[in-house]
Amino acid sequence: MTAPPIAALRVAIVLVAVALALALVGIVWSHHAARDAEAGLTEQHAAHAAAQQRLARSREEQRLIEAHQEAYLRFVEAGFIGAEDRLAWIEAVQLASRSVGLAGLEYRLSPRSPAPPGLAQALPLGQTTMTLTMPILVETDLPRFFAALRTRAPGIYRIQGCRLSRVGNEAFKAADQPRLKVECELVWYTLASASQASAS
Amino acid sequence: MTLHHRLILLATPRQIGVLDWRPGRLHWLGDFPATEQGMAAFRAVVAKHSRLPTLVVVDTVDEDYRSEALPHVAGHARTELLDRRLRQVFRNARFVGAWRQTRETTGRRDDRYLFAALTDADWLTPWLAVLQRERVPLYGITPLALASQHLLTRLRPQEPHTLLAYRLNNRLRLSYYHNGQLRFSRLVSSESPTQLPGNAADEIAKTQLYLTGQRILPRESRLSVLLCDPSGQLDSAQAALNADPAFNTRVVDLQSLGRALGIPENFLAETPDVVPLAAIAGDTVELNLAPAELLQPYTEYRWRRGLHALAGTLAGVGLVVTAGYALHAQELRSEAEALARQTQQLDSRYAAIARGFPANLPPPGQLAQTVELAHTLAANRVNVDALYAALGQVLAAYPDVRLDTLSWNEASPPFAAPGARVRLDASLTGFDGNYRAALRRIEALMQHLAAVPSLHEVRLRTSPVNVDSSATLTGQTRNGADPALAAAFSVELVYREETAP
Repeated sequence: MTAPPIAALRVAIVLVAVALALALVGIVWSHHAARDAEAGLTEQHAAHAAAQQRLARSREEQRLIEAHQEAYLRFVEAGFIGAEDRLAWIEAVQLASRSVGLAGLEYRLSPRSPAPPGLAQALPLGQTTMTLTMPILVETDLPRFFAALRTRAPGIYRIQGCRLSRVGNEAFKAADQPRLKVECELVWYTLASASQASAS
Repeated sequence: MTLHHRLILLATPRQIGVLDWRPGRLHWLGDFPATEQGMAAFRAVVAKHSRLPTLVVVDTVDEDYRSEALPHVAGHARTELLDRRLRQVFRNARFVGAWRQTRETTGRRDDRYLFAALTDADWLTPWLAVLQRERVPLYGITPLALASQHLLTRLRPQEPHTLLAYRLNNRLRLSYYHNGQLRFSRLVSSESPTQLPGNAADEIAKTQLYLTGQRILPRESRLSVLLCDPSGQLDSAQAALNADPAFNTRVVDLQSLGRALGIPENFLAETPDVVPLAAIAGDTVELNLAPAELLQPYTEYRWRRGLHALAGTLAGVGLVVTAGYALHAQELRSEAEALARQTQQLDSRYAAIARGFPANLPPPGQLAQTVELAHTLAANRVNVDALYAALGQVLAAYPDVRLDTLSWNEASPPFAAPGARVRLDASLTGFDGNYRAALRRIEALMQHLAAVPSLHEVRLRTSPVNVDSSATLTGQTRNGADPALAAAFSVELVYREETAP
């Protein structure tokens, strides 16, 4: 083909340019529209998935509430959940001591401190150490004391350890004088309630 | 190059005929004499169809054909060679052309060309002036003999040497074709139609002699003659020619023409001029006599068509792609809306369930975790009774062992199983200084402790006598038991209850 007669083809060239421009504008605009729509759909997918998860979780949550509500409320009533009731603890050990027939006991409560993270598992679990010192007549007084304490003590506690030692060095003779001394450490656990945890 | 709608003009010194051609559709627009009125009428017709590509088929006596063999060259060299040779052969003729027909197979393998020219074309100038004034895209000027070649192709002759005797407008055109390619043509014009039939056979014989003399037609070759006359006046020449063994003559009637061209016979009968025009209309023009300056409008036409097609393609592609994206976007939006509705429904259901949750409880996950923690804290506590029973059971068998201190400490969290580290500080009563016996007694105690299922890892923490070579050792000896002498020792062990499976 010969060289194009540019002057005679001005209108046709402009037509091509206009067609190209319109085509590009249309393609770019529609491409953006499709991309925006795709982004919107992706967002909706994410929102839908989140809603599905939330709904599934709610059913699971409902199941958890039904399974654990009663036990939780029992622990609240027992004194494990909520503020420390030190008075109740002291009364419990006193009553246990009396019911076993001990001569008396000394107690010391340490300030409440957070429980180790490995035990608390991010819950607001606190622990208070109670040191008991009491004279006993025979070794079996101690398990009897703990048995009596179990029936009276509110909340949850663990016996961390005890030290049973002789008082004096004399040989045994039947008497009603305590010849043994016991030092025990109890740890009382309490869990702050939701309102207490948010206030702190 | 295939074109779809065009004008084909049949120009003679006396008149010009106009055919409006489309594949499968012919419209004869009429003959226009070479008069002032005819020219004006022709101009009006051309003005109405000025956008159509146009081919002029020329039927004139003033034409010349030469067969030339030239060295095989290509490109610009070929163009220059042909221009030079055409000027040499046809001098200053304006309408000249060359057609490369074949390449020889022997010797130098030259190209064989057919050169053609209109030796006198002044009569054509006014018709061309009309076309130029209207800027008609003229794409060729070709002799009628070449248009007849296309007719011959449709008639499918089997013979290599064919003479087509075509009568049109009282003029007889005799064209010789070798293997279907034009080699020579002449126009026999007659003023009196009654003389033509007799002259036809003579003219054909004369032409045969001329061709043989010019060695265009090989001597002793049999010439196949096709008599083509829509009016039927050439039919009588067949008998005269067939009497000569040099000829093999047959008549091409209207029916054969109609069948070959796909045109109804009645149309051909009414407008016989269309026969050669319809034959060449849809084909490529091999021999173009038009000078370059006359073809300029056609060049513009082709460029313009190409650009319009490009613009249309761009617009079409743009439209398709835009529509595709737009539809895709619409689909995505519809899908997003449907998802949004479903999400709303899910949220409503969640809200309905959440409304039933007790307000005074922690979150359900924490609720379960709290209960589980409480159970963990309350579980696996050391059974003091069992611990003391296990130790007491062993110590009861060793009345000579006086327990001074018994201490135990629970294992650290997470309280997987009840257990405690136990330490016994004791002393052997009635010790007479016999450390060896004391050690045996202590060893027996330790073994007895180890034999208890819930007591493990029994080890002597402190011995009554430290026989370590690195330590200082002091003591006393006595004769007999001395209550003041004591064999104190300390034993450590682990108490571990077996939990129920």
